[in-house]
Amino acid sequence: MFEARLTRYRSIAMLAIASSALIAPVAETAPPDTSNWKCNLCPFETGSQGNITAGGTYVSDDAAKFGDASGYDEKGGYANVDGEGKYASEGFRLNWYAEDLGLDSRVFEIDGGRQGKYGFYVGYRELPKRVFDTTSSVFGPSGNDSLVLPGSWVPAPLTSGMTALDSSLNSQNIESDRQTIEFGAKYLPSSRFDLFADFRRQQNDGVDIFGGSTFTQASQLLKPLDYQTDEVDAGVRYRTERGHLTLAYYGSFFENDATSLIWDNPFSFDPSTSLPGEDQGRHAPEPDNDFQQVTLSGSYRAATLNSVIAFSAAMGRGEQDDLLLPYTINPNIAAAALPRSMLDAEVDTMNLAFTVVSRPFLKARVKLAFRHDERDNKTSQLQWSRVITDTFPTIDNELNIPYSFERSRLNLSADYRLFDTVKLSAGYDRMEFDRNFQEVAEQTEDAGWGKIRWRPTSYLDITARGGASERDIDRYDEVFAAGLGQNPLLRKYNLAYRYREFGELTFSTSHPAQPVSFTFDVLYANDEYRRSQLGLTDSEELRFAADLSWSISERASVYLTGGIEEIDGEQLGSELFSTPDWQASHTDKFHNFGGGFRVAGIGDKVDLQLDYTRADGNTEINVASGPGGQSQFPDLESTLDSLRMKILYRWSDKLEAILQLRYESFSAEDWALQGVAADTIPTILTLGAQPYDYEVWVVGIGFRYLIGSSTAR
Amino acid sequence: MDLKTISRYSVQLCACLLLSPGALSQSSDGADIPYSTTGADMCLACHQSNQVVLAIFKTKHAVPSDPRSPFGDGQLQCEACHGPGGLHIAQGGNEVLITGFGADSVAPVKAQNIMCLECHTADIGFAWHGGPHDDNEVSCAGCHQIHTGNDAVLNTSTQAEKCYDCHAFRKSDSLKAYSHPLREGKMACTDCHSPHGATTELQLVRQSLNDTCFQCHAEKRGPFLWEHAPVAEDCSNCHNPHGSNHPGMLAKRAPLLCQSCHSQSGHPSIAYDADGVATGMPSQYLLGQSCLNCHSQVHGSNHPSGSRLMR
Repeated sequence: MFEARLTRYRSIAMLAIASSALIAPVAETAPPDTSNWKCNLCPFETGSQGNITAGGTYVSDDAAKFGDASGYDEKGGYANVDGEGKYASEGFRLNWYAEDLGLDSRVFEIDGGRQGKYGFYVGYRELPKRVFDTTSSVFGPSGNDSLVLPGSWVPAPLTSGMTALDSSLNSQNIESDRQTIEFGAKYLPSSRFDLFADFRRQQNDGVDIFGGSTFTQASQLLKPLDYQTDEVDAGVRYRTERGHLTLAYYGSFFENDATSLIWDNPFSFDPSTSLPGEDQGRHAPEPDNDFQQVTLSGSYRAATLNSVIAFSAAMGRGEQDDLLLPYTINPNIAAAALPRSMLDAEVDTMNLAFTVVSRPFLKARVKLAFRHDERDNKTSQLQWSRVITDTFPTIDNELNIPYSFERSRLNLSADYRLFDTVKLSAGYDRMEFDRNFQEVAEQTEDAGWGKIRWRPTSYLDITARGGASERDIDRYDEVFAAGLGQNPLLRKYNLAYRYREFGELTFSTSHPAQPVSFTFDVLYANDEYRRSQLGLTDSEELRFAADLSWSISERASVYLTGGIEEIDGEQLGSELFSTPDWQASHTDKFHNFGGGFRVAGIGDKVDLQLDYTRADGNTEINVASGPGGQSQFPDLESTLDSLRMKILYRWSDKLEAILQLRYESFSAEDWALQGVAADTIPTILTLGAQPYDYEVWVVGIGFRYLIGSSTAR
Repeated sequence: MDLKTISRYSVQLCACLLLSPGALSQSSDGADIPYSTTGADMCLACHQSNQVVLAIFKTKHAVPSDPRSPFGDGQLQCEACHGPGGLHIAQGGNEVLITGFGADSVAPVKAQNIMCLECHTADIGFAWHGGPHDDNEVSCAGCHQIHTGNDAVLNTSTQAEKCYDCHAFRKSDSLKAYSHPLREGKMACTDCHSPHGATTELQLVRQSLNDTCFQCHAEKRGPFLWEHAPVAEDCSNCHNPHGSNHPGMLAKRAPLLCQSCHSQSGHPSIAYDADGVATGMPSQYLLGQSCLNCHSQVHGSNHPSGSRLMR
């Protein structure tokens, strides 16, 4: 029976392949007369239906990281409401969706319209970013643009001498909330045209960590965030049976309510290193800016060589004309006048792309893709004076550097179906990169790759891909590098010569007659920066991932999943500004494992699901300097354990009860933060952020009520 | 031959193709399989108790007032997607004589996808051909559930799990200590990527990687008075956007990340080793935010005295 089924599949598959003619409908047949196709039995939806879930959740502990994005950052009870629903009537539809309405991660969306004529949507979502809840600061806000020390503050040259520190520290979380409002509409005046317009406003409020430095000291500060970004997408699309054209506009407008941030220097005046007046610093927050772009894109299906062409051409301009701050806030420094009061910065972008895919005959496909990207920074170059950390004026002026680049990519590839079960692919990629004002002006990269895909049966799929690339440069301008104070032997890794090898193997099996599927992926990549005497010299990545799932029955399934990853990097440095005299290795390891099961309809009343995840991150750093010197850092570690269980009980046709239990623990070892209190570092007043370490239980119960009813016509 | 020359030839090739007659999709090859005689009513005569089949009427595919819909006036109803069903009906519902969808279907992926792309050409199929999902013969039904009112891959909170079915490494990345909020279901893969293909690199939704990042991080766009060259070029020079062991999804721990490019005499070139880490008193350049304790404006500074990205 099995053989018979296989034979049948194979013959039908071959028939379908042949009849499909690759980009043609299966078995193209003259369209029938559908005038009598009444569809009397079709239960088209009308009326309304949906569900609302209301309930409560208890969270056992405060944990910023656990609350990051989820909204469950504080211990205590939360009331919550979720739901979704729809209304349909004679072609008009209205859908609504609500998620986590009681939390700081709430989402509410409505979309609807008369399909084929117009559509609209409105959405609101919040995203909480919770970074640290272990931080404290001695600064308090004064208005929107100043951070001031308390009146009792005792400045000192070193943090250990700040006698009022302990009494001045106030707990301050590092957190922000992103609120997004969006709405849009589309209108289809005919079957050929449609018009669309979307607007999105993001408001991001909160605080972030900011390093405010003086000449020899620094303070970690709470930088207020008050960002607003408006985005507009609008356009018109024209379509035919052969293809389409779209003319679109994109605008992004960023506004920062803060134009300046002044902070009091908590360190005392040191005559040996600073000038009188170094009691405040001033930071220029991110300036208002906008970016506007017009794009023409389209596609066309041509008969010649069975080809499909897609193209896109975009022209954009970014501008920034915020008023500039003076060189310094220090009144004791007679700073020069600014060359202009605002930068009037302007960047033009151009992005051109096209792709041609042709199937010259049944077994082959060739692809050509070309892409060209330009960033042309037209900002004027001017001579600027400088006051170092509001402390010392400099003698020499310096020019601002408006970076520009052009990047072109060409991809050529071909597929050939050697047998029904084997497909071969090969490709060549070339990239050309032109930059200005950098050590490397012209850079090229050539890559070749091959792939074989073997599908001996419809339920076994093995794919192997491998290749190599060589990135080369015209020359590394050591004179230019010296002008930046760089060691002439350094090769920046994004500019350096690089030889890369890569390979990937994917194994997947999913037998239609057996309820088990298994996939396995392995990836290897090695980058060698063979001509770099200083900087990154080697990087290697090895990854495995596997997934096993078993559908025990129509109602029950289990799965196991896991992954292993290791990324090694080697770099060289020189303390003596000469040949390499130190070496560092940096190894990121990451292991994850998970499993779970689903059981539905236990006694026709109960659904049960359980998921467990464990993830271990580990970073080994070794810095070797001097003869035989090896310096192994303590490992940077993180461990996540997460268990989620959900039980759904169907009380009646209208009412369901949902019990959710969640446990999550996260612990980290990080020497950069561990035990670093506000005064641990003599010259840096920190916020005392500590590595994440939490264990949280969440228990929730909710009741889902099914509302409304749909009726069939 | 440089890329500019190649591009010129390529444009000429495209022009030739555009001017050629005929339509790719209008091949008449294939067996002459008849349609049913009364459309969906014949299908439902057998399938009307199958809730999966009936779920199509909860979807945008079953809107009679939309002439583009398979159930629009004059359209082919079930057979618009499943192909002519005459033989399937005549042979008592032989499943292999109708185009099925998904992993269990005997129809080749190409044959399945053609059915979808016949209609979804302008919006979804714009750059499908030659995109990575097309290259790897991913079926539309491999990601989308058609016969349901709630397609999981269209919902932000459930989409990523579907993508992880194939993109296992990305699932691992999402579990790292620092990642975008996909694990929490508050961000979708499609916030950055166009799974139906795009002419952009990595199938990004905007014209460049940086433009894609600036959708949510527009404060880092500038242009600034003092730019940081690798930032203006490519955010992924320093960040792993899918996840990392390090704060800020950085590719490597500072100061080593910064020292990969900064070798100036003085503190940038010093070998900061582990001396003092055990006692909590290593170099100040290792603690807190490392280089960012002072150079906090690594994405660019608009302060006239900010050339060292400290203001």
